[in-house]
Amino acid sequence: MERLDNTPGRIVRVLLCKGELRVLSDHALQNAYEVVTRDTPLQDSSLDIEPIAVTVRCNACGFQGSPELLSDPSFHFAIPILSCPRCGAEVDLLTGRELYIGRLTVEPPPDGPVSAEAEP
Amino acid sequence: MHDVHVSYEDLLARQLQDAEENFRVLREQGVLAISVMGAIGSGKTSVIERMIERLAADGRTVGTIAGDSAGDDDHRRFTAVGATSVNLNTQDDCHLDAHRVRHAMEKLPLAELSVLFIENVGNLICPADFPLGTAAEMVVISVTEGDDMVRKHPKIFAQTDLVVINKVDLATAVGVDTKVILADYARVNPHGTAVLADARRGVGIDELLAALGIACTSTPW
Repeated sequence: MERLDNTPGRIVRVLLCKGELRVLSDHALQNAYEVVTRDTPLQDSSLDIEPIAVTVRCNACGFQGSPELLSDPSFHFAIPILSCPRCGAEVDLLTGRELYIGRLTVEPPPDGPVSAEAEP
Repeated sequence: MHDVHVSYEDLLARQLQDAEENFRVLREQGVLAISVMGAIGSGKTSVIERMIERLAADGRTVGTIAGDSAGDDDHRRFTAVGATSVNLNTQDDCHLDAHRVRHAMEKLPLAELSVLFIENVGNLICPADFPLGTAAEMVVISVTEGDDMVRKHPKIFAQTDLVVINKVDLATAVGVDTKVILADYARVNPHGTAVLADARRGVGIDELLAALGIACTSTPW
């Protein structure tokens, strides 16, 4: 992990990873990001939101993976069904409720070397 | 241009920690806590009132946390039917969170309570994202909201295993077929239980308590 204030160069992109079950609107996040970064070093950087799909583990048959999605047109959005797609038993949620900053993309300063600690 | 990995710490981790702490405290004190969510006017308060009366007749001590944006109407209703209640005004928040609930719990005599109902602010969207640390969660909807409530708010129904469909006595008057709501709920949540209720008359309350794993023996009405 690298501290933000030690990051060389200018941050041009923030990647926010968001579980698909999080009740948090991309639209509101984008608007808020634009407002809170104005007149800061993050101004003009982009906020990219990457959805993290729901995955489940079955308590009965041990299945691990994606649940079925209910994509009935009357719902307009695909809804993950929290049930085992293989045997129909109840499941535990493995992923789908996260919210974290996954990555920062940094433009190196014009005269300085790229930090050796940063991952390509 | 290069990428820097910062931290994978969840930005909402504190919420989960607070909820886990509430769960631990409630379990330690032997309190069965139930989170009650639902839209404005669905009848959450009436459903809880009937459960309080039912449990009180069975000799159990019930506590409530009455969550609302403003006012203490629900808190006074709970107190009037014999619950030990704490009023929790969120002012500008449209949901309760575990941290607020923790402070409300501190004002309750937890050791004396058998059941604690936590009534959320009327809302079918945000509360789904804020676990409070209760042992069970339920959503109350009413037929007067229309037969499309599940289709309009699938996330909360997909994640809540107990739903009360209230005011069923008014279904014909408002032209709503409860079978439509039941079918939608079964599609988004195959493991869920739905209870039909008319809380004003106490209909469905025994079934609801049974679904919550609470067996009552006496009959208050």
